[in-house]
Amino acid sequence: MPLLELRNVTSFYGNVQALKGVSLRVEEGEVVTLLGANGAGKSTTLRSISGLVPAATGEILFMGQPIHRLGPEAIVRLGISHVPEGRRVFPGLTVTENIMLGASNRGRASRAEILEGVAEMFAIFPDLARLSHALGWSLSGGQQQMLAVARGLMARPRLLMLDEPSLGLAPIIVQQLFGVIRSIRQRGMTILLVEQNAHMALSVADRGYVLETGRLTVEGSPDQLLDNEEVRAAYLGGARGATDPGTAPTAAKVGP
Amino acid sequence: MGFLSINLQILFSGLAVGAVYSLVALGFVLIIRATNVVNFAQGDFAMLGAFAMMTMLTALSLPYWLSFLLALAAMTVFGVLFNYGVYYPLRNRSFLPVIISTLGASIFMQNTVLAIFGPQAQPLEKVFKASGFEVGGVFLDSQYLVILAVAVLAVAFQYFLFERTLLGKKLQATSQDKDMARLLGIPVAWMIAITFIYSATLGGLAGILVGPVLFVSIGMGSVIALKAFSATIIGGFGDVAGAIVGGLLLGVVENFAGAYISVAYKDAFAFLLLFLFLLIRPQGIFGEKISEKA
Amino acid sequence: MTQGAASIEPAGVRVAAALPVRFIGLSILALALPAIPFLFPVNSYVVNIFMQAATYGIAVLGMTIVLGYTGQINLAQAAFFGLGAYAVALGTVTLGLSFWVSLLLGIGVASLAGLVLGLTTLRLGGHYLAMITISFQQIFDLVMVNWTAVTRGPDGVPGIARPSLFGHHLADDKAYLVFCIAVLYAAIGLVWYLPRTRLGRAMQAIRENEMAAEVTGIKTLVVKVIAFILCAGLAGIGGALYAAGFAYVSPDNFSFKVSIDFLTMALLGGAQSPFGSTLGTALLILLPEWLRFLKEIYLAAYGIAVILIMVFMPEGIWGIGKTAWQKIRKPRTAKMGAVAPLDLDIPVEGQAPALHIEGIHKHFGGVSAVDGVDIAVTRGTVHALIGPNGSGKTTMLNVLNGIYKPTAGRVLVDGQDVTHDAPHVRAGHGMGRTFQNIRLFPNLSVLENVMVGAQRQHNPIGRSDAALRARAMSALAFVGMPDKAHMLAKNLPYGHQRLVEIARALAGHPKLLLLDEPAAGLNQTEKHELADLLKRLRGHGVTIFLIEHDMGLIEQVSDRISVLNFGRKIAEGAPAEVLRHPGVIAAYLGENVVAAA
Repeated sequence: MPLLELRNVTSFYGNVQALKGVSLRVEEGEVVTLLGANGAGKSTTLRSISGLVPAATGEILFMGQPIHRLGPEAIVRLGISHVPEGRRVFPGLTVTENIMLGASNRGRASRAEILEGVAEMFAIFPDLARLSHALGWSLSGGQQQMLAVARGLMARPRLLMLDEPSLGLAPIIVQQLFGVIRSIRQRGMTILLVEQNAHMALSVADRGYVLETGRLTVEGSPDQLLDNEEVRAAYLGGARGATDPGTAPTAAKVGP
Repeated sequence: MGFLSINLQILFSGLAVGAVYSLVALGFVLIIRATNVVNFAQGDFAMLGAFAMMTMLTALSLPYWLSFLLALAAMTVFGVLFNYGVYYPLRNRSFLPVIISTLGASIFMQNTVLAIFGPQAQPLEKVFKASGFEVGGVFLDSQYLVILAVAVLAVAFQYFLFERTLLGKKLQATSQDKDMARLLGIPVAWMIAITFIYSATLGGLAGILVGPVLFVSIGMGSVIALKAFSATIIGGFGDVAGAIVGGLLLGVVENFAGAYISVAYKDAFAFLLLFLFLLIRPQGIFGEKISEKA
Repeated sequence: MTQGAASIEPAGVRVAAALPVRFIGLSILALALPAIPFLFPVNSYVVNIFMQAATYGIAVLGMTIVLGYTGQINLAQAAFFGLGAYAVALGTVTLGLSFWVSLLLGIGVASLAGLVLGLTTLRLGGHYLAMITISFQQIFDLVMVNWTAVTRGPDGVPGIARPSLFGHHLADDKAYLVFCIAVLYAAIGLVWYLPRTRLGRAMQAIRENEMAAEVTGIKTLVVKVIAFILCAGLAGIGGALYAAGFAYVSPDNFSFKVSIDFLTMALLGGAQSPFGSTLGTALLILLPEWLRFLKEIYLAAYGIAVILIMVFMPEGIWGIGKTAWQKIRKPRTAKMGAVAPLDLDIPVEGQAPALHIEGIHKHFGGVSAVDGVDIAVTRGTVHALIGPNGSGKTTMLNVLNGIYKPTAGRVLVDGQDVTHDAPHVRAGHGMGRTFQNIRLFPNLSVLENVMVGAQRQHNPIGRSDAALRARAMSALAFVGMPDKAHMLAKNLPYGHQRLVEIARALAGHPKLLLLDEPAAGLNQTEKHELADLLKRLRGHGVTIFLIEHDMGLIEQVSDRISVLNFGRKIAEGAPAEVLRHPGVIAAYLGENVVAAA
């Protein structure tokens, strides 16, 4: 049974239909990436999973249980941690406080347990340890992103969802960030990663899906997706594989 | 009285009255930070607190400390009612319906109290029977001393709650980014309810403290509310420290203006200051520039 | 078409079609009302109540203008009312002036006060405006009570005489009441007609979406100030009539509480309609009389009622009636007479590029959103601006539009420096714009939305209503939606709303059209239609500058593309080259920075 499964999910963003029947799955221990151009519906997919934007139709199952009618507080308690786009660290709170609040879904955790968790995070993110008393707004983009991920991990999730972590970050920081993602993955975390930066995402993923205006168009392993015409077309337009005999797609095409 | 002692006297009573404004302003700012709602009924919490206290003390003849606790308990109940009756149904609407609703709540509170107690202003007992003592030519009224002491305690409690407890952090997180707080599992609706309860209690506390000085009347809340608004704007809209400093500053300026310029128009200075700040420096002393987003 | 077409409702009632029947009915009612006190025996107490209702009604009509039409909060209406009343009181009693001169004085002073408060909206709106008006009201109260030398303080001013009209001294209460009702009717007529004018439409546009109104060319500050002046003026008239009617004024009659009363009357009846506010006034004055036995509970219930109105019927009683009426009526279709083809021709003025972005920098605090960008857009071409998320595209558009001031650099339209011009001034120079998340005026009809676009300054068309209407219909026909003219904008499906937004910009005869992600949310068919529309516009010589993510669309319509990344331009040229440029591909798809993983 997959850890997370979406079956034909549709979702609206105001009047606009952002997702038009998305079906995907994430197995335990995998890193799955959702690729696509801006506006394709990647963030909406994550928001539908975490309950910020309810799915209009379709089902979302987590460990076999339907979660598409639950609110965000309940879903994070079940073990899905959503690190949203734009980092969104609490600007007026310190690094330590931000991280501590990551444990808010674990109502039973004692202060001691929470502080233990913070120490663990500092081990994974040594830069943050240095900045433990700095206020959120004073951190650089890369530091904020690390903080957001650390905060997300504090929830001890079964599934960690990262929304465009590389957004607005300089390449060298992105490299560091993905190093961290790799190490989290090595500890057995299941990750659903939404990224515009297809190359970086595919360097760390087991499998990938490509979203185009609310529909999944391609699915495959990183090898199948890297340098794939379909993927490039999804971002930059251009030749469609079906009419161009020169580029027979090796990745599985999804849907009509 | 010497020149110095006169001015110290004015300063002292100005600080005391200012402390009352600060308490109401503090509750006001906390609600703004948590919900973005400008609560035009904030002053009426003070009025309710004073009347509750008076009921316990005079009508029910309970000892002072018991009346005090019961009055504060009543305020927490009012806070809950306000949260669910006024804020919650309108939490997703634009600012205009919300402003108007809080005005409606203010009218309701004032008129209900009017119906029960009648329009006459009533006296409220001071905490200590002793009227006060003199130090170096300055008469320190006992009630004023109590006001200042309690205000200091309240601010200390506020600091402790917000800076040293996890609950305080959750409250701060809710004001800084509500959706993110939800994503972490913080029960945001409950955090907001707590904010309203706390603010109502702060307001009620201010009313209980200032009741003996100003007399307890239906309209006392409206005037205090406007002074509290002025204090928040002067200090910096949405800034907690600003609300406290603004309140004290306003109380002092108002008292000096009343003494040296005109007693009759004493109240006008608060509004004049408000007017001026809103026009010239709307972000107040501590606030950040207010900018328009596309 | 996209899904989710809501129930189709017609727009507000149009004058022409409904005029005869309703007008006659209303006129009968209107004439009957003032006749009642003469036909039936009514005691003077009742006459007084109606006099209060009439004079209050005039003031509440002011609230309709400022709150109902323009969406600005005003909690100082009683102060304006009081200025009018005291002008008459002090004018006639203390200064010995005639009623009419004092009336004019009162209107003048009240309007001046309205002007001052209106000007404060330049900096502030919303809560701040509420506070400014409250503090003005409170200062007024204090001055009236304490400046006893002039105002006679809490004792008030007694003995105010009635005026004479055409030789008749209106000493008789009933005669004076008829006079008040006549003035009320005149005011209702004025306020009723206002939304059908340029000014009225501009006010409503501000209420619906102030930023869109500003960008479309409305001088938002001027309109708001006028709204306040009209509001205060009406209150002044009401106050003046009140003073002469009751022969006595005191500060109590014009306190903050009375301002709240005015507000509640407007809200209960329906702030957006003159009939609604008059209804609300009547109810709130007459009800307590009938319910006097419930007085104490009534006062308390008053407050709850305000909350309930806001929660359940924010449009007031009249609004509920109107919504029900619209559901019953058959939808109106526009009379499709001859619609002139849209004139988009632009006189060529010299060699300058249509748009020149010169060294634009925009910093927010420490962040550099746009870091030195130069782009020259050739007249009559479609120029696209693309780049990954966060590259500075929308910031750039906001700078071009005037919503942001650049930290450095210049924006030149047809060689003219517009860098420091407000958005509505740029609209006046022929700059049109659409927004990424559509900013229409949801509660106005499609036609009204587009007419607002035609109202921009220096639009080369006539100023009459007919000219605006014709231009708007032409624009709607151009985008293929003339039959939807009378639908409420909010009821249109998404794709159609997008087209209306474009029509609104076209109605302003733009030289330069700025489009922010026009294809966002459109399906394939709609995108094809959009591409065709853009090509047609280019054919007419309109210069188009657009931000877009849909590369297919961009390839189809663009003549030239500029690519931004991290606030800088990294490539520029024809679509074929730019979209295959390795640097561009890397910017979008990302680089594999991990050397050997």
